[in-house]
Order: sequence, then C-alpha cells, then structure tokens
Amino acid sequence: MKKSIMYIKSIALIAAIFLVGGGLFLYSGYYPMGADVPHNQLTHKLLETLRERSIARAARDIEAPADLNTSERLLAGGADYNDMCAGCHLKPGKTESDFSIGLYPSPPNLTSIADDDDGDGDGDGDGDAENDNADIKRNFWVIKHGIKASGMPAWGPTHDDERIWNMAAFLKRLPDLSADQYQILTARGEDSEEHHGQ
Amino acid sequence: MKIKTHIKVITLSALAFAISAQAHDPKEHMKDAQEPDCAAMKDMDHSKMDMDDPVTQAMMKKCMKGMDHDKSENDQTSDEHHGDKESSEEPHPEQQKDEHPEPQPN
Repeated sequence: MKKSIMYIKSIALIAAIFLVGGGLFLYSGYYPMGADVPHNQLTHKLLETLRERSIARAARDIEAPADLNTSERLLAGGADYNDMCAGCHLKPGKTESDFSIGLYPSPPNLTSIADDDDGDGDGDGDGDAENDNADIKRNFWVIKHGIKASGMPAWGPTHDDERIWNMAAFLKRLPDLSADQYQILTARGEDSEEHHGQ
Repeated sequence: MKIKTHIKVITLSALAFAISAQAHDPKEHMKDAQEPDCAAMKDMDHSKMDMDDPVTQAMMKKCMKGMDHDKSENDQTSDEHHGDKESSEEPHPEQQKDEHPEPQPN
C-alpha cells in the first residue's frame, strides 16, 4: 500500500514538473516563432501527423461529383486557381515565388507533385482510383476549410461547393499541363484575335 | 422600436454579406483578365492531341473563336486573291454569327 502511494506521488510529481516546466517555457517566449526558423523535427513530425490525420478523417465521407473530368470544370477551376492559388502554389514554368519561399510551412508546389504521390510505392505515380478519389476529396476539403496556422485560407465562406470542386478538378490535371496549356486554360478573357475585327 | 432596431441590424448584416460575396464573384477578376495565348496552340502538333482529353477540349473551347475567325479571314483573303469582288462585298463572317452560331465556351 505504502509502495503504491509512493508510486502515485512520483508520477504526480513528474507530471507537475512537466506542467510547470511547460508553462514556464510557454511564458518565457524562448520558442522561435518566426517563419524563417523551422520547427524542430519532433514538433514538425507531430504537427504534420496531426494535420494529415485530421484532414483524412474529415474528408473521408465527402461525396465527389461524378463529372469532375470535364473541360467546363477545368476552365472554371483553372481561372480561379490562377487568381487565388498560383501565387503560393505556383504554375507551370515557375519554381518559386515570394510566398513559396517565405511561408512556413512552405506551400506545396502543386504543379510538380512527386511522381509517386499516389502512395502505392510503385513509383509510377498512376495510383488507383481509390487514391485518386481520396486526393480529390482531400483537396476539396483543404480548399474549403483551409489549414490553421499555415497561410492556407478557408475559401468555403466565400465560394460555393461547385466552384471549389472546379478547382479540385483542375488540381488533378495541373501537374500534366505545360506552361502554354496552363496559360490558355486559366485566362479569363477571350481570344484577343476574336476582337480585332470588331 | 425594438423591431426597427432588429430590421436595421439584419439589413446591415445582409448588405455586408452581399458586398463580401460580390467581391469574390469571377466578374471581379475580369478587370485585369488575361487573354489566352492561342497562337501557342497553333504551334502545337495537332496530330498528337487527344481530342477526348478534357484539357484539349478546354483549349479548343477557349481558342475556337479565334481559330474560326482566322480560318474565315484566310478564306476571304483567298477569295480576294482570286479576284472575286462580290465575295469581298459580302458581310464579314463574324457579322453572320446569328445565322451560323458558334459553340460558346461556358
């Protein structure tokens, strides 16, 4: 009995030391908060796991429209991507911007997703339909809800779901696009040659 | 009195919401809208283009009008070179849009 009380007291003491130590560290202001100093590996790994698990759980039950792979969605989503996303997530032919360099965590370059980002480990980047579907739902969720403390805003409050699905559809094809194709697909205006004779 | 205050608050909130929503309308982006560089598409190898691919279809939709315009301009120039005066007096193909409507991109 005496032994177990000593055991509990020890655990309580260790917990108290951690709590007080943690509190002192929080209030000391010694943690580097600047975006130009990366997290240590442990913090980075913990936050990344927290983010990915949270998004995967939240996006699991989303129903993607069946008609995502259409030219109409590419044109609508491309124009919005160019206006709202390309500054951070880049466009074909561009490898960095002030935002992609300065933001932390660094926004992913969506034009050059790793060849094997399908997660099947075969290095072909093809992925199966299930992985593709999960990626699309993940992208939809991230665009709609944003990600805390990352610079990624929630576009949901100001953009309806259809418009966000258009962007998700465009993201799926973005890594395949050349700079010329990207320019044509994302331009909001009409072909200028059409207007020359008017 | 209370009802009047409520109406004012609701009206102001609705107005603020409407203004914020309007700011994200695609039309707002049209002020500095880029034009598609369809000349680049003309240089592409069309035989290698997959016409079933939504990317190709989207590019065609975006550049179709300009390409049609070019085509009809070429036809017209060709007619003029052949000395067909009457054809040059015919209305410009773009003026006949109503008779031959072109498919419009969404």
